[in-house]
Amino acid sequence: MKLSGVQYLAGQGIENIWKNRMMSFASFCVLLVSILMVGLASLFYINITSMIGSVAGKNEVIVYIEDGATSEDEAALKTQLEKIGNMTEISFYSKDQAFEDLKKSMSDYEVLFDSLGNDNPLIDSYRIKIADIDQMDNTVAQIQKLDFVSNVRAPYDFVNILIQLRRIITIIALAVIAALCIVSVIIISNTTKASVFARREEIMIMKYVGATNAFIRIPFFVEGMITGFMAGLVALILTWLSYDSTVDLLTNQVDILNIIGVGSIISFRQIIVPVALCYLFAGALVGALGSTISTRKHLNV
Amino acid sequence: MVEFRNVSVTYANGVDALYNVNLVINDGDFAFVVGPSGAGKSTMIKLLLKEISPTSGEVIVNGYKLTKLPKRKIPSLRRTIGFVFQDFRLIPSMTVYENIAFVLRVIDSPRRYIKKRVKYVISLVGLEDKADAFPDELSGGEKQRCAIARALVNDPDLIIADEPTGNIDPELSYEIVELLKSINDCGTTILMVTHEHDLVRHFGGRIININKGEVTFDNVISGDAVSEAANIMNDINSGSTQVVYDEDYKAEQYESYSGDVYDETDNRFVPDNEGGDY
Repeated sequence: MKLSGVQYLAGQGIENIWKNRMMSFASFCVLLVSILMVGLASLFYINITSMIGSVAGKNEVIVYIEDGATSEDEAALKTQLEKIGNMTEISFYSKDQAFEDLKKSMSDYEVLFDSLGNDNPLIDSYRIKIADIDQMDNTVAQIQKLDFVSNVRAPYDFVNILIQLRRIITIIALAVIAALCIVSVIIISNTTKASVFARREEIMIMKYVGATNAFIRIPFFVEGMITGFMAGLVALILTWLSYDSTVDLLTNQVDILNIIGVGSIISFRQIIVPVALCYLFAGALVGALGSTISTRKHLNV
Repeated sequence: MVEFRNVSVTYANGVDALYNVNLVINDGDFAFVVGPSGAGKSTMIKLLLKEISPTSGEVIVNGYKLTKLPKRKIPSLRRTIGFVFQDFRLIPSMTVYENIAFVLRVIDSPRRYIKKRVKYVISLVGLEDKADAFPDELSGGEKQRCAIARALVNDPDLIIADEPTGNIDPELSYEIVELLKSINDCGTTILMVTHEHDLVRHFGGRIININKGEVTFDNVISGDAVSEAANIMNDINSGSTQVVYDEDYKAEQYESYSGDVYDETDNRFVPDNEGGDY
């Protein structure tokens, strides 16, 4: 096909948006609402998991070091721990420090410590924060095999609850998003079908004068793509505005911040590129495919 | 050139729409197809358009064997045929100019050629003033003239007109047929289905009568022998259908495609001396 032919077909697609503006507007609105619903649900899910992640980051695994290990041994252990990985933080907690802390926390029972005198019954330890709590079991097992490790205490209950909670939220969120997607597809396909149905005669006439299916479909494709792209763009702007105002609302409430943790809410600027790409691409793709596929039934003359 | 060889069409509901039809319409012919409603005229048109396929037999249009024609070749077939329908079938969202130009855009004609050619055919049918009007703004006669311009813009070998005068004033009907006649004078084969026996009597020419799915009359009546034509038409209509076959004429018709070569890749007959596609 010549360039002029491609230009003609693309031009027809753009012209058709205006010529069928009522139907185009209907498709636009349906696509806009669909993208908004799915998009906002996804963003909500991403933030919830981020919050769970920030809570999970507060986990603490304690690695007790065998009594009698020298400071060189302890340094060697630290390098080995670093080799295992999956840790965000490794800090040394000496037995002296531990003893002081214990005394402080039990200041009401100072008498008890008097009998101990300077005899410190505690042992040195490393305090570790696990990066990926799903891999905690594995990491703990590896730590236990290391030399000079006497015992490892991991927050199994804490981690299990978090993992459970995350699983439940993930299932609910995915179910909601999937349901919204299905509803969107049904509504979109009905809208585009109605829009194409209104023009079935036009399609039939084109077939009678010898137009190929592709020739008839390309304007529909262009039309759907542009409508979908515009819907994605408007949905992106609306999402941005509503997202930012929600974040403002939450970060102004100190009580809420204390629970969910500072920095666990993802700012829109951080994710704008992937979100924009998803919105615009999904809009253009669904719009284009919707109207192109809907022509199929009417091309059979 | 159109050829029906032992064509029968039986619809899924058991109705025999056409039964063993043999018919040849030669290049340059102007043929009227007449017959009562339900006789099979529409089925014939649908066969020529490859909207349906015959139950048995062979239909050949402009060298395309329609029974063997794969779906993707249908557009190429239709580009060699011009259609004029009773209900005009103009695209409502396009102007007269765009409706006609669309046929050429489909075959990717150069822009300058489209401009020149469309202007020319618009002037042929006398719609210069209405080139930028939309179909809704035209009268019935103007719509049909636009449809005729669309049918001939691509210089087809064959124009099929299905009741082209059905939706327009009787006075204008003559004008439409005159227009088709003048196109025929330039060598285009024309097949016109009609109900209006007045028109057939007035213009004469080759008349094919179809009744209950069979060709019951097929002969040439000159436009001068108006009374003779009238008698025959009356005979046909009164039911005392005398099948009059002119054996010489039929023999002449069946010269058929014997001299041509059937091109399997192109699914059409190609005359020995010609390259084929336009």
